[in-house]
Amino acid sequence: MTCADVRRVLPEILDGGPEGVFPADFETHVKSCPDCSDLISDLKLISSEARQLAASEEPAPRVWVRIAAELRAEGLIREPDSAPNRPALFPASPPRRWSAWWLAPVAVALLAAGSYVVSHKHAPQVAKQQAPTTPLTTPAPAANSASVSPSAPASALSSAPQQLAKKKSAKPTDVVASAAKPAVEPEPSAEDQQFLSVVSTRAPSMRATYESQLKAVNAHIREVQAYLDQNPGDAEARQHLMDAYQQKALLYQIALDRIQ
Amino acid sequence: MTDPKQSITEAEAIEQAKQGHEAAFEVLYHLHKRRVYSLCLRMVSNPAQAEDLAQEAFLQLFRKIGTFRGESAFSTWLHRMTVNVVLMQLRKKGLPVVSLEETLEAEDEAPRKEFGTKDVKLTGAVDRLQLQRAIDRLPPGYRTVFVLHDVEGFEHNEIAQIVGCSIGNSKSQLHKARLKLREYLKFMRAEKAKTG
Repeated sequence: MTCADVRRVLPEILDGGPEGVFPADFETHVKSCPDCSDLISDLKLISSEARQLAASEEPAPRVWVRIAAELRAEGLIREPDSAPNRPALFPASPPRRWSAWWLAPVAVALLAAGSYVVSHKHAPQVAKQQAPTTPLTTPAPAANSASVSPSAPASALSSAPQQLAKKKSAKPTDVVASAAKPAVEPEPSAEDQQFLSVVSTRAPSMRATYESQLKAVNAHIREVQAYLDQNPGDAEARQHLMDAYQQKALLYQIALDRIQ
Repeated sequence: MTDPKQSITEAEAIEQAKQGHEAAFEVLYHLHKRRVYSLCLRMVSNPAQAEDLAQEAFLQLFRKIGTFRGESAFSTWLHRMTVNVVLMQLRKKGLPVVSLEETLEAEDEAPRKEFGTKDVKLTGAVDRLQLQRAIDRLPPGYRTVFVLHDVEGFEHNEIAQIVGCSIGNSKSQLHKARLKLREYLKFMRAEKAKTG
């Protein structure tokens, strides 16, 4: 067997042939040929060292953050104490409690304020082209405060910044990075404080969920608001802002539904 | 202090993930993140792109986790999914998943006396970083088969099925990839000897 013969059969032999079943003339040649011997030992060395590369790299923590956000947005993550197959934002409806009567009008006012802000403040050029619209109602203090302190959501809302990011052709990494920036948290509005006070009577896990949802939705509103400030003509962003206000109103409504 | 998330088994985590428990998803992610990310990184040689691909692979997995019945190993399922995600990306970018055999038949058939008169043998161990760099330099088609076989441990019949080539082609690509790597590593070693 020649060197050329060895190299021709090498691919088969290296991966297929168990030790000891190589053709006799192959082994004879390799033992007497340093070039072929070195070649085979090098290829085996490369192959064995390559195994060390599996699972050798650690992804950045942001990868899990992005995955978790997407799972929440898609409703794949459910809150521990929510009913099976129902997302956390849509729990079973226990009897309403009269003492939380304020939540309903606040939710409505919040939604109305969101509509107002979205349709007036950020789309002047659009508004000029359309028939003038009257706000559904005078923005309530809760709504005003919300519009002044724009903000974001933990679950359903987390898809919105991603869609926005796609629109802006930004990498998801950038979005997460910007979302992860330690922004200065504005003081909670009076309505938010009242909301937090009411939910503080709930079980610690639910209280934490409400608090984080409120924080998230406020952060989302802030984020979309900031984007809209720079891109006032972006209709899609306005829709995101409207959605965010609806989410906040929904959160208030859910808190109302769940108070027993 | 022990993280309670780590105290559940993979099987328990899978069942809990099917119920939508975030902690269970997180456990599964942490169990497999290194393998998945490393696979993506080796195949695309771009950390940012590898992160996106790893994210996509996990998302696809979690979306389908309800259908996992446990007939095959969870890790096998995940790694297959990861490979498919990466290959789909390579195809989208128009990169060859398998090198064109005919363009390469004439190459690498004979041993080379690379980079100087003395044919340096890769004695001892191969430096991991150098090996990584050498893999990054491989043409995408070679790289795919090499990573799948030598790094990830897929068999040739599996690779043939995954990338859509013959078993013989997979073996041939692998052999050529190893020869290329040897060439690169020897060059790197020779360069290092020169400068060192």
